[in-house]
Amino acid sequence: MNDFHLAPTGETPEIHFEYSRNRLSVAGESYPENAMTFYAPIRSSLAQYLEQLSVDAAVEAHFAFKYFNSSSTKLIRHLIGMLNDAASQGVRVALHWYHDPDDDMMMEFGMDLGEEYRQIALKVSPLETA
Amino acid sequence: MNRVLSVQDSGRTEAAERAALRTTRDLLIEIEPVTPAVENRDVFAIFESETDLIGLPVVEDGRPIGLINRNIFMQSLARPFHREIYWHKSCIAFMDKTPFVAEIALSIEELSLRIVESGTKTLMDGFIIAEQGRYRGIGLAQDMLRAMAFLQAERNRIVMESIDYGSVIQRSLSRASRQAMRRSLPDHFLLWEPRDVVSGDFYFFQDYPDGFLFGLYDCTGHGVPGAFMTLIMSSFLQGSIREETRRDPGRLLGEINRRVKSAMDQIDHQHSDSTEHHSDDGMDAAFCWYDRHSRRLTYAGAHLQLFMLAPGEDEVRILSGERHGVGYATTSMDQIWTNHVRELEEGAAVYLFTDGLLDQLGGERRIAFGKRRLCATLLAHRDAPMSTQRAALFEALLGYQGAEPRKDDISAFGFRATGDLGA
Repeated sequence: MNDFHLAPTGETPEIHFEYSRNRLSVAGESYPENAMTFYAPIRSSLAQYLEQLSVDAAVEAHFAFKYFNSSSTKLIRHLIGMLNDAASQGVRVALHWYHDPDDDMMMEFGMDLGEEYRQIALKVSPLETA
Repeated sequence: MNRVLSVQDSGRTEAAERAALRTTRDLLIEIEPVTPAVENRDVFAIFESETDLIGLPVVEDGRPIGLINRNIFMQSLARPFHREIYWHKSCIAFMDKTPFVAEIALSIEELSLRIVESGTKTLMDGFIIAEQGRYRGIGLAQDMLRAMAFLQAERNRIVMESIDYGSVIQRSLSRASRQAMRRSLPDHFLLWEPRDVVSGDFYFFQDYPDGFLFGLYDCTGHGVPGAFMTLIMSSFLQGSIREETRRDPGRLLGEINRRVKSAMDQIDHQHSDSTEHHSDDGMDAAFCWYDRHSRRLTYAGAHLQLFMLAPGEDEVRILSGERHGVGYATTSMDQIWTNHVRELEEGAAVYLFTDGLLDQLGGERRIAFGKRRLCATLLAHRDAPMSTQRAALFEALLGYQGAEPRKDDISAFGFRATGDLGA
């Protein structure tokens, strides 16, 4: 399956799903006017990928957000929900949630995700920036 | 003789002009045209005597057949031997045989699109205006631009007036709450700052002989859709407050959740790949009941925390409710919100904030204002009257935000438990 890549814009994050390496990366800010429209192709691509994944596969995901608006929040949760579903089918999913060391809101969001999506091995870590 | 027979009267009032500029007719300049029988000698004389005339229309049997552009005409005649050859020839020699012809009933918008398509020539020379193919006069691109600018401004004005009036409605819906706050709370503040004119954040406050019920909520979105949601939520809230529910904020949240979900037909589509739009709208909210006799505060939270600062304590205590918002496709119909009860000491301060405040980006690294900065501000001003705290908080936020644009609506509510709150 081909990798899925979207370059970052002022309002949307960079999406780099390297399916060939089972490595999914999302980084940047997310506040598109219509988050539903922006995330729809990302969701369907991820769904296709997860569908064809063998149950003993191991997936590594890296999410490094600086900011997202409330409508993006739901869709980001949704992506993680999809990974969680795959994990409950047997796929091993490790999710790295990065936040600015000074950003307690982003850290807390990551910790909440860990409580909510129990099937994923979630690690929240501060991302040191230059 | 002046060939310009009439220009649409420019002495109209501005309002009349705005209302009137709707079709090509409003741009009409009636110019006496020439016929192909007219010689270039005569055209030269016309351009010589009428220095403002840019284009001279040529009409045959009432139908426009061309437009003579002043500059092209003059330059052509100035070429060697041209005057000798063409002086007594028909004026069609130097005319543009395919000028842009606009029907008089054409709307200004449609006209502007066609003019842009027809190219720079029309922008320079102007165009012919006809009525059912028969010559009526000419129009100038600059007049068309002016008309477009008016239309644009007019449309903006109409949209903004509509939203401004929406804001009047939204504010009037919270007037009773503000009055009740002033009656019941000697020391309190309210911060309600829509990002745009109307807000997706809202609050309510209702007093009773035995206590008061209050809440702060943050609906999906901001601006007009956010404001729609606040009206829906207010109406469900009002419908849910009864004698047996008013002291039970958790139950109120549950009841509003069920009402929103059925009214907006929110099925659980969390795992569907369909991109068809289902409503996934709702609110984060904190509802509280304060009982005067026991001095107890009952809080229930849907992804909106309560902050308390008691005298003698070094830290702001944060009460968290459930993570689930009210409404939203991912919140189930039978979601329960738990009541948390705390006794309020004399002098204790209670605060609610929407996430617009906590999530506002700012600082050198452009990250969220966050709880740490918020709590530090509250601690620094803990002894000040609530109105001063409001100002300090807003100032701290604006200072942190700097040049960063406001991302969301911002609201906060705070009060201090004083002896006066008792029965």
